[in-house]
Amino acid sequence: MAARSATAGPSRWRRRGDLARFAIIGLFILFVIVPLYWVVITSIKPSNDYLTVPPVWFPAEPTIVHYTAALFSYRGLQGLVNSLIIASVSTVLSAILGTMMAYSLARFNTGGQHLAFWVLSQRFLPPVAIILPIFLLFRSWGLYDTRIGLIIAYTFMTLPISVWMMYAYFRQLPRSLEEAALVDGLSRWQTMWMVAVPLAAPGIAAASVFVFIAVWTEFFFALVLTSRHAFTLPTVFRAFLGFQGAQYGEACALATTSLVPSIILGMLVQRHLVRGLTLGALRG
Amino acid sequence: MRPELDPVSVTDLATRGPLPPPARWRGGGALSAWVDQHFKWLMVAPAVLLILALSIYPLLFSLWVNFVNYDFEIPGHDFVGLQNFRQIVNDPLAWSSLITTIFLSLAVVAIEFLLGLGLALAMVRMFRGRGIILSILIIPLFISPVIVGQSWALFLQRPFGPADYLLSQLLGHPVNISWVGEVPWVYIAIVIADVWQWTPFMFVVLLAGLAAIPAHLYEAAELDGISGLRVLFYVTLPQLAPIIFLAVTFRLLDAVKLFDVIFMLTGGGPGTATYTTSFYLYQIGFQQFHLSTATAGSWLFLILLSVVIMVLVRRLLRAENA
Repeated sequence: MAARSATAGPSRWRRRGDLARFAIIGLFILFVIVPLYWVVITSIKPSNDYLTVPPVWFPAEPTIVHYTAALFSYRGLQGLVNSLIIASVSTVLSAILGTMMAYSLARFNTGGQHLAFWVLSQRFLPPVAIILPIFLLFRSWGLYDTRIGLIIAYTFMTLPISVWMMYAYFRQLPRSLEEAALVDGLSRWQTMWMVAVPLAAPGIAAASVFVFIAVWTEFFFALVLTSRHAFTLPTVFRAFLGFQGAQYGEACALATTSLVPSIILGMLVQRHLVRGLTLGALRG
Repeated sequence: MRPELDPVSVTDLATRGPLPPPARWRGGGALSAWVDQHFKWLMVAPAVLLILALSIYPLLFSLWVNFVNYDFEIPGHDFVGLQNFRQIVNDPLAWSSLITTIFLSLAVVAIEFLLGLGLALAMVRMFRGRGIILSILIIPLFISPVIVGQSWALFLQRPFGPADYLLSQLLGHPVNISWVGEVPWVYIAIVIADVWQWTPFMFVVLLAGLAAIPAHLYEAAELDGISGLRVLFYVTLPQLAPIIFLAVTFRLLDAVKLFDVIFMLTGGGPGTATYTTSFYLYQIGFQQFHLSTATAGSWLFLILLSVVIMVLVRRLLRAENA
């Protein structure tokens, strides 16, 4: 008797539990997808479908006019080009500097814990605390509103990501190959680039993707450090503040243009996600 | 395919010391010898110099700005002592924006934690389609916060946004909420946008933590006849505690920077109801150009935060070395 009720209890509980599980998952999926769907669908809606009750969930005559308007009338294209250049160059720089520093930290324990601690703490520094002096310095150094200026700022901003992700990665790599290379007469520099870096290539690639996404989606630095020339894609959205001109389609077209590349990149590094989000502290 | 899972040899873990010196049997010049000798410092130098230039130097520079009058509207940099700090401390808006920041960040992090934990518990066991669902759930993490703010502004718009329409269909009577124009709703709107974007963070990190809990603990609990919620409270949560600490502090330190969503969704309004500290300092510095006052404010903010940052970073380091 006792045994039977003991088995009946958990299974009924489990079935109810399953229902709750899938309800939670289903509701959250809807919560994630519906606003995204609305943005994408608004980007191809003709203007007279905006203000209808009930809302139009799929336009009868999809259009791409908002894309051309967003890219050409609202200078979205220039923002897109700037974003691509700035994000690519800062990613490469951040990956190179980050890999070098991470290698040194992982293999020589350079500066003990303090140096690693110091780099990591930069990740949590509120941008607003340093942006004013950076703004003033950029103005006096002629870096204000230049791509180079923003590239420097973003390389700095993403160093904690690349250093810490690579630090965690290098520490997992066996060092016997490097030891052998050093014994065979390679210099430290050659050992690093010819032995360690190729082994770490998958980790460097993953870290670079996270850096790229971080730069691609960043707003605050770009808002303060650029105006009419080096502005990036996220800052173009200022033009649609409050939707006073009812540019819903243009805003959504621009949003779609920006979010598609970063979502695709994000999917590529999905299995490194936990590591990326926690800067290598967790393996996932 | 998954090189990071390569077994790390035991000797590697045992010999944590620095690598041996290179043999350099092919000679090489004095330069390469010098490079080899100072290699570890040369490798960290570029990154360290960049951080010094863009973080430490600005902070020191702003330390000076704190005590002078650095205002685009007033020429000269007179020494004014503590006046900039006094101006901030005496500004009621500084206090109310700090309170808004604390209140909003605690609210979003609490909700994100609960939702993220629920989702992680729901997703931890395998089922068909889990991979695809996982991919969908993490999408918000890769979207610019500006776009999140703007999309929610569009979605919650009155009277033509779909939110009010969906709510009235759901509730069966007309709903007409002024999401960004009225005080409690505007806070709810901000919380929704932030929860939308960052619950996946909690979810992903907690899911990794859940997956790492050894199965024998659950087996032991089952043998002891413990089930349901008591497993959650006596096995799962205690095991998960370090990960929860990490996830919550990480999120909290990012949540207090709340700016982008405010900028796009509410503009600080109605009135100054949704001014956060970052938004407030931005307004003072870059809209009113009282650079010294804003700098003094950012220093105070930084000092408040640095205590929390120190605790978290020390803790992360310990996790690294464990």
